[in-house]
Amino acid sequence: MLELRHLSKSYASGHPVLAGLSWTFKAGEFVAIMGDSGVGKSTLLNLIAGLDVPDANAGTSPIWVDGVAMSGLDDDAATRLRRQRMGFIFQAFHVLPHLTLLQNVALPLLLNGLPQHRAAEMLAAVGLGGREADFPHQLSGGEMQRVAIARALVHRPALVLADEPTGNLDPDTAHDILTLLRSEIKATGACAIMVTHSTAAADMADKTLVLSKSGLQETTIVNPFAQKPR
Amino acid sequence: MMIDTSTAAPSAMPPAPPRSWSTLVLFAFLLLLVAASFATLPIPWSAFLTLESINNMAEFLAGFAPPDVSAPFLTKTAIAAGETLAMSALGTLIAVGIGLALALPGAGRWGRAPRAVVRGVLNVLRSIPELVWASITLIAVGLGPFGGTLALAAHTSGVLGRLFSDSLENVAPLPEQSLRTNGASPLAAFFYATLPQTLPQMMSYTLYRWENNIRAAAILGVVGAGGLGQMLKYHLSLFQMQQSATVIVAMLLMVALVDAISFALRRLLTH
Repeated sequence: MLELRHLSKSYASGHPVLAGLSWTFKAGEFVAIMGDSGVGKSTLLNLIAGLDVPDANAGTSPIWVDGVAMSGLDDDAATRLRRQRMGFIFQAFHVLPHLTLLQNVALPLLLNGLPQHRAAEMLAAVGLGGREADFPHQLSGGEMQRVAIARALVHRPALVLADEPTGNLDPDTAHDILTLLRSEIKATGACAIMVTHSTAAADMADKTLVLSKSGLQETTIVNPFAQKPR
Repeated sequence: MMIDTSTAAPSAMPPAPPRSWSTLVLFAFLLLLVAASFATLPIPWSAFLTLESINNMAEFLAGFAPPDVSAPFLTKTAIAAGETLAMSALGTLIAVGIGLALALPGAGRWGRAPRAVVRGVLNVLRSIPELVWASITLIAVGLGPFGGTLALAAHTSGVLGRLFSDSLENVAPLPEQSLRTNGASPLAAFFYATLPQTLPQMMSYTLYRWENNIRAAAILGVVGAGGLGQMLKYHLSLFQMQQSATVIVAMLLMVALVDAISFALRRLLTH
């Protein structure tokens, strides 16, 4: 689904953030990425989304999404790829305040020119059925993240990128949200990559990778309090 | 119940700020300026308040009563009021179009250089008062409501363009960024995320300026831009005070009515 081939990124000052990163993410896989602050987790998500440009890689594109080389795409093509094949979940929800919940969830369908009936189904799937006409200011933080999850998945993306999706939520709500995210990802068969600092959140994923200066390494999270739904 | 204050903690109030001599000097200087203004300007208060001048004023004001309420004159006044209303509405509408078009570069969305240039243009447009614009446009297109409309549009474009630019600059950037991340085109992200956030404020500014333009349109008539103002100038210059009174009452009613409608709409939009 997503392949990284010797992915490197340095800033203009020459300071390397990511150096020769390689990994293959499979469809239907829920992967958590952890690591110290400043190690390049968010940069990695931005590079995968095509929002930032990786260092040139001799011979091949360093990022492949669903068989498409990201390096060969211009701005318009990268925007189209994000719109059609990716879904995003942010720590601060980023739900549009002036739109109803249904309009928020329907937005990716509208942008993709798809029929919008699935928006109501998706809203019901995240437990907000019957609240289509409500506005975001009427919701709690957990409910807003449910809307964000529905919006990220409504157009059936192949890849879901989540940046600290539970960073603003209390532990119980965070657990509920990740259970929901996990079940929706499994239902749609999408590949999900979640950047997090929380071991409890990482434990809900299929596997956890730790990003460090030496690259990506799989690790085992020991969290006796977490219950991973299957 | 008695409260023992002897053991109470000392007041937690912060110490008073140090006395600033520069503020006192500035205040004294301002007072001096006010006193000097009165001393140097020839304002003969005594002449204004003599019995003779009060009688003259009373006689002049008495000439206004009763206003001319004959059907033909009321019809003529209503037509002129409609002209003033149309002039203000059309002038504001043109200004909204120009203001919106200039607000995008004015908000720095196309870079720093276009922002500086457009802000300069907006400053020039709004720094020139409607009456000066009217003297230019009336020479260009001749006497009548068209010149007045253009004058209102020119000044209001500068005001609305600046206000719209500031609104766009101050809007929360995250919704638009989020949509761009989700693959929306720049245009779609602007129309779905940024514009709806600023629209109520822009509508409110527009209504407020329309309110101002009603008053301005009435004044522009005096320099030949048509409507109630032109009618007032005509009847006053012929000392037809009763007809002038009708025109003044019509102006007051129209301004009050538009103020009330605009106020109600602005409350609706911003609450």
